[in-house]
Formats: sequence, C-alpha cells, structure tokens
Amino acid sequence: MRLRVDGKDVEVQEGTLLLQVARVPTLCHHPHTETRGLCRICLVEVNGRLQPACATLAQEGMEVKTETEALRRLRKTLLEWLALTTDLSQAPELLALLERYGAEPARWPEVEGRKEREAVEDNPFFLRDYAKCVNCRRCVDACGDGVMGVYALTLEGRGLLAHPTTPLGRPLPETPCVFCGNCVQVCPTGALRPLALEVA
Amino acid sequence: MRTTCPYCGVGCQVEPELKEGRVVRVLAPDIPPNHGALCVKGRFGLDFPFSGKRLLHPLVRESLNAPFRRATWEEALDFAAERLLDVLRRKGPEAIAVFPSAKTTNEEVYLAQKLARALLGTNNVDHCSRLCHSSSTAALSRSLGGASMTNPIEDIWKTDLFLVVGSNTTETHPVIAAMIKKRVRQGARMIVVDPRYTGMAEAATLWLRVRPGTDLFLLNAMARYILEADLWDRAYVEARTEGFEAWRASLEEYTLERAEAVTGVEREKIALAARLYATTERAGAYWAMGVTQHTKGTATAQALVNLALLTGKVGKEGAGLNPLRGQNNVQGAGDMGALPDVYPGYLKVAEEGARARFEALWGVPLNPRPGLRMTEVFEAIPEVEAIYLIGEDPVTSEPYQDHLKAKLAALPFLIVQDILENETTPFAHVVFPAASFLEKDGTFTNTDRRVQRVRKLLEPPGEARPDWWITQALGQRLAQALGRPWPTYPGPGAIWEEVRRAIPELMGGIAYARLEAAGVRWPCPREDHPGEAVLFRERFNTPTGRARFHPVDYTPPAEPPSEDYPFTLSTGRVLFHWHGGTLSRNSRLQEAYPELKVEVNPKDAERLGLQDGEPIYVVSRRGRIRARAWVTERTPEGVVYAPFHFAEAPANRLTLDALDPISRIPEYKVSAVRLEKVD
Repeated sequence: MRLRVDGKDVEVQEGTLLLQVARVPTLCHHPHTETRGLCRICLVEVNGRLQPACATLAQEGMEVKTETEALRRLRKTLLEWLALTTDLSQAPELLALLERYGAEPARWPEVEGRKEREAVEDNPFFLRDYAKCVNCRRCVDACGDGVMGVYALTLEGRGLLAHPTTPLGRPLPETPCVFCGNCVQVCPTGALRPLALEVA
Repeated sequence: MRTTCPYCGVGCQVEPELKEGRVVRVLAPDIPPNHGALCVKGRFGLDFPFSGKRLLHPLVRESLNAPFRRATWEEALDFAAERLLDVLRRKGPEAIAVFPSAKTTNEEVYLAQKLARALLGTNNVDHCSRLCHSSSTAALSRSLGGASMTNPIEDIWKTDLFLVVGSNTTETHPVIAAMIKKRVRQGARMIVVDPRYTGMAEAATLWLRVRPGTDLFLLNAMARYILEADLWDRAYVEARTEGFEAWRASLEEYTLERAEAVTGVEREKIALAARLYATTERAGAYWAMGVTQHTKGTATAQALVNLALLTGKVGKEGAGLNPLRGQNNVQGAGDMGALPDVYPGYLKVAEEGARARFEALWGVPLNPRPGLRMTEVFEAIPEVEAIYLIGEDPVTSEPYQDHLKAKLAALPFLIVQDILENETTPFAHVVFPAASFLEKDGTFTNTDRRVQRVRKLLEPPGEARPDWWITQALGQRLAQALGRPWPTYPGPGAIWEEVRRAIPELMGGIAYARLEAAGVRWPCPREDHPGEAVLFRERFNTPTGRARFHPVDYTPPAEPPSEDYPFTLSTGRVLFHWHGGTLSRNSRLQEAYPELKVEVNPKDAERLGLQDGEPIYVVSRRGRIRARAWVTERTPEGVVYAPFHFAEAPANRLTLDALDPISRIPEYKVSAVRLEKVD
C-alpha cells in the first residue's frame, strides 16, 4: 500500500506501524514490550488528526506529517512537564530531546512531582529510583507479557501519583522477581539501574 | 563491546560496560539468540573475573605434602612437560588424560584435544558433558547420527506444543524458558514431565508429576498408546526410519495401567499427553538433566527419540528433539572433539578414514584406540598417572566426593588450569592461572549450534594467560621433546582457521568476519551458506540415511529408598548459581543465595517435626552434609532436592557413583538419604 509521509510517497506492507516509516521521537515504545500510545511523544498528524505512530497502522492513502508546528509545541510541552516532575539527570536521550525541542520547564509553575521520592534498595542487584521514573510502563511489560511472564512489577495510582511498584508493595525478593534485570535493560531514564554503577 | 555470556548454553549476547576495570552494567543487544533479554547470571553475575580468589601466578610442587611455590611460566611449563613426558615414557599414552573445558573457547578445546592426541598419543580426552548430556548425545548419535538440538531456538515461535521433560528451564536456561512461556501465552500448549513443581510446571497446560526416575516408563507408555490409538505417522515411519517392528514389539508391557502404577501419574493424563503430542504437527521436545542423569539416562533419552520418530517430529520446523545444553560451550567442546571416541566433527577415532584425515592435518600417526571417559579415568587412577585438567572442579561436580578425593590424592601428577581457586586446586601439582572470558578472544558454540564470538575486553590479571596460550606453550615443550610437529599459532583466529580446514563440512563457512553481525550455526560448509537451522529435513546422518528405533526397557534406580534411608535425593541447580559455584559464588549472585537450602515436602516436614528454615543433616550411605530445610510443595512427598553448588555442604558427598552402562553418566537424580535434626 502507498501513503505519504511528510510529502514523500512511501510504499509499505500491510501491518506496518507508522513508527516504522515516520522518524519521530519515542519514549514508552520498545520493540520487546507491549506498551502502545502511552507517552504521546511519537504523535504524528494523520489526515489532520493527531495519532500515536507506535500504535497506528499504516493505511492506503494516509497523509502523515511528523513535524508540524503543532506537533513541535505539543512535544515541547510534554517534555517540559516530564522535566518539571521527574529527575531526568540519568536520561540522556530525553535530555537531548528537551534541547532539540527548546523546552523551558521553568515557564510553568512548580508542581508536586516525583522528584522527592526515595530510591528503593531492596535487593543485591539493582536500585528502583522512582524519582527518575516517567511511568513509561516498559519495565512492567518486560517483566510481564512482553518478555518474562513473571509479573513482579505493576503500575499503581493515577495521574501524577501513578508509579510502578511490586504487588502489594512488597520488597522484590518477596515477589516472583527473578532478577533478570530485563526491566533495567528497557528503562529509558535510569530509574532502574544496577547497584554496581553506584559504587563505581 | 559485544561478547558471549559465559554461563549457560543459551549463548546470550552481552555488552558489559566497564568502568575503572569493573563491570558496572550489562546490556544485551537486540540480536539472536536472546534479542536483548538476559537472566540474573548474565545481567548481574559477570563480575567473577574481579574476584580476590583469582589465580594470578603459576604454582608448582613436587608432591601433595609440599606447599605450593610460586614459579615463572617457563619454570612451571618445563616442570609440567617433564612430568608428562616421564609418565609417557614409563607408562605409555594410556596413563595420561586431558580434560578440555566446556567453559573455554572452541579454539582452546581444539588445541587441548590436539595436544592429547597429536603429542601425547592418547584418546583419554573428555569433558564435563560426561556428567550432563552424554546420555542424550549417545541416544541421538546412534539413532539420528547427530548430537545436538535438531531445531533452532527461534523455532520456539513456530511451536504449538512443547513437551518439556526433566528440565527446570526457568532456572537453568531462563531466557529460553521466557520464550517458551511467552509462546504458551500466545496459545501454544505445554506438557511438563517433572517430579518437581518448577516454574515450567507452573506455566504448563498439563503437568505430569512422575516419580523420580520413571520418565522412561511414561514415555514408552505414551508410545504404546499412540500406536494403539493409531495416532502415529505411518508414512514418516515407513519413509524415514528403520528398526520399527522390533521396537514396537518391545512396548508390549508398557500399558497405561502399569505406567500409572510405576510413575504415579493417572492413566488419563498419560493418554492425554500422548494424544496431544501425537496430534500436534508442530510439537517440539525439550529436555535436560532430569532425563539424562540416571543409570538409564541413555535409555530414557532414547525413549524420547523413539516417541518423536513414531510421530514424525524430527526434521520439521517448530518440532524436533532439543536437548538444552548446560555449559556456555559444551556443544562446542563436543564439536571440537573433547571426547574419547571422536575427533573434531564427531569423526570416529576408530575409523581409518577419519584417522587418516587428522594424521594428514597434524602430520603425526594417531592412536586408533578410543580412550577412557571422564568417570572411568578417575576410576583408573593410579593406572592413570597424570591428568591435565582445564576449567573444571571435579571434587564438587563428580559423584561420591569422598571416593573421588581419595582417588585424586593417589594421582601422581595433576595439572589444574583455571581462573579461580576451587575444591580441586588442593590436589594439584601444577597450577596454571588462566584468563577469564573477558580477557581473551575466540568463539563459543551455544545450545542450538550457533558459533559466536568471545571478545577480549580486559587484560588478564597478574600473570594469568589465555588457555590457548598455556596449552600452546605446553605443547611446544612436548613437541620439541618428542620430535613432533606443533605449529605456533599467533592467536585464536589462526587456531580457528585450522578448525575450518579440519572439518570443512561443519565449519568451513564460518569465518570470524561473518560473526561480527551475529553468530552462525553449523553445519555451514561455505561462506555463502547461511548455516543450517533445522537438521535432518531430507535424510538422517546415518549410513542408511534413516533414523533408527532402539528398544529400551525400564529399570529401577540403582539405590532405591530403604528403611534407613527413606528419602530419594535429587540434585540439580538453582537460578542464582552455576554448577560447582566457582563462578557464581565469586560474584554478586552469592548475596542473593548464600547457602544450601534443601527442599522438603510439607508432609514429610510435619512427620519429622521440621520447621521451614531449620538446619538439618542430609545423610546418605556415603556421607552427610548440613543444610537448611526449605519446606515447600515444589518437591513431592518422599523426595528431597539439593542443589550441588555449595562446596561447604556438597550434595555430591551424598550422591552415588552408579553409572549408565552406555554413557557412563552418574545417577545424580536418585540416591537414598535420610534427614536428621540438628540438636
């Protein structure tokens, strides 16, 4: 099938996600987890409407725009809000995006954010530092359906209070966790990181 | 930089991040076989090269009574070569054995077996597969003419039914287990045959809790039922197999009724399992030590082979016979000829044509007599006077530890070549300090025959040297004294080139340059060949091209429970540790699982008045160990399970050295013990 992306004709097979043809930034998307359309960073304009590229299938005749003024403003705002609420100091890719979109978090009033959360150190292998967590769900998916099928992580709460945790908030060694660290592998912000990094 | 995980046979690709000479983080690239996934060992257990117990200098001594003294490499190599030559002159080549290591690279294994055969003239060459999958390789070789997984790991995504027998996959091959479990979530079915309620049993569609050591009866009964219900693949059996009628006749006694009585599994469940396996086109069998580590290990693996042939499952995508190999390079160690009866490429020592090939390549006459297997070598001490032992800790891994220690104490000359001190080091006369996987180049071959690169990221500590360097230097001294050729290889790449020339039908197309992007599977005869994924699509690797049924009969375990020793002890591994513990217990993994826990069923615990976490003694006819009781439904009534990783409480002090008559594997999965309270 054929569609147009930023004015260029593109030929794709059925079942192709827009993300595969549109060069847009992503955050919650990961090839081995099953999160779709959560973070809105990859939004594109499809026939005038905003759609998440990671969760939208290409269709015949689509007119896709990946970098309009509206999209740029939207991404900038989303990134500013993340920076406002979250410690992004160990998220180099997000910091680069902030720069690319000229984000100015300081133009917003302060909000009660996640930055104050204390890191959880409950196992010999990795830290859960949720002050740095943007709730992308990749860890939850890698632990569950995406990779391991272990389900030791889950998302709790809503809105700004939402955060990943364990079942009933138990320490990881008391959950089904097998410490494979596949959650650490997919974490885009350094919220989950090896303890070995800390001592070095 | 990318390299290959040194723990299990999955062969996960890893990118260790080093900072100030330490591994601080391990990420995995999105390429086969693991596509970014790892288990706890690969992710957090790669720090053992930095252990304070690393061997840093060559050590020598005249006798076990003398203390070790630090020596230069020259001195230690000269000393070792002289002692080996002395044994060779006095007692001949049969008095020497060389054990290459399935933890070392293909290049290193190749060189070590070449040293044994081309210089010392002995075929007493073996490796730790003797203790793990030798039963599988024996059955697969005689039936199919090949000793490996028939199907690639990626076939998991095409499999509609998994028959998992005696494999605690979630703990021993966690990344493969995660794939299988995900495929089951996508709708595939899984039958698990295991006495223990493992992670696989938990994820199974159908769990058959057999009594330990009765799998063979179950598998034969499944075959008999499939024949009776006429669910077998007649066309496949006629076109591709031989020996069917004699085998069929051998199944007469294996009725569902008897199977229920012997295995403890309800007959309806056995019939259902048989029906599901026979009627699912893409059904793959996966197995491990629960099948092989029995006095009837070869027979049990054979029963599985017979069942797969009966239902036409071999040579097809998403199906096959898939022994999950344990060590990172145990497949490669076999491929490289670390076996007493075959050269590299499984070419038989006893066959003149094969011998001629290697005589021409190495420029020496070769010994036509197959050598002793590892378990037999230890028994043959002191007729065997010298052992060159690489990367292995038999004191922890062989059965009946006290007996083995007595044998090692009587061994006149032992070279231990390892990266870390272990329980066998105290029996050595020479210690060669080796480089770890992070400190050298080469290749490992994983469980599905994929040859993958190992890359040097660090310098070895102290005076440690790569195993290939040590073997080469020892070989130079032997070659000079014996007047035999022994080329000097500038590095692992040059050794690999010789492997390609030696067995071009398997490895000819696998050049290092090709391995940059991802590993390549053998057989791969040419550089434009992609490497074979599914084996035996057209014909089997037997003289007739057909696969052969072999009748196998059920025999009870060598040491059944008795009044004094009422429990069956089964040994194995846990997620956080690796075999003898040399690696994992010198890594961060030790913190997560510091001591031996023995699984005891709650009913047995109640009878004995044992609390969860209480210290106990586990006692067999051969010794006793102290452990902590873990009261859990994971293990069935009457059975206790002990991992063998703990040198201070070695499960192998308890196990018996009864061996399979064909593979000579010990019966690690069944010995009789009793539990005693600690006062």
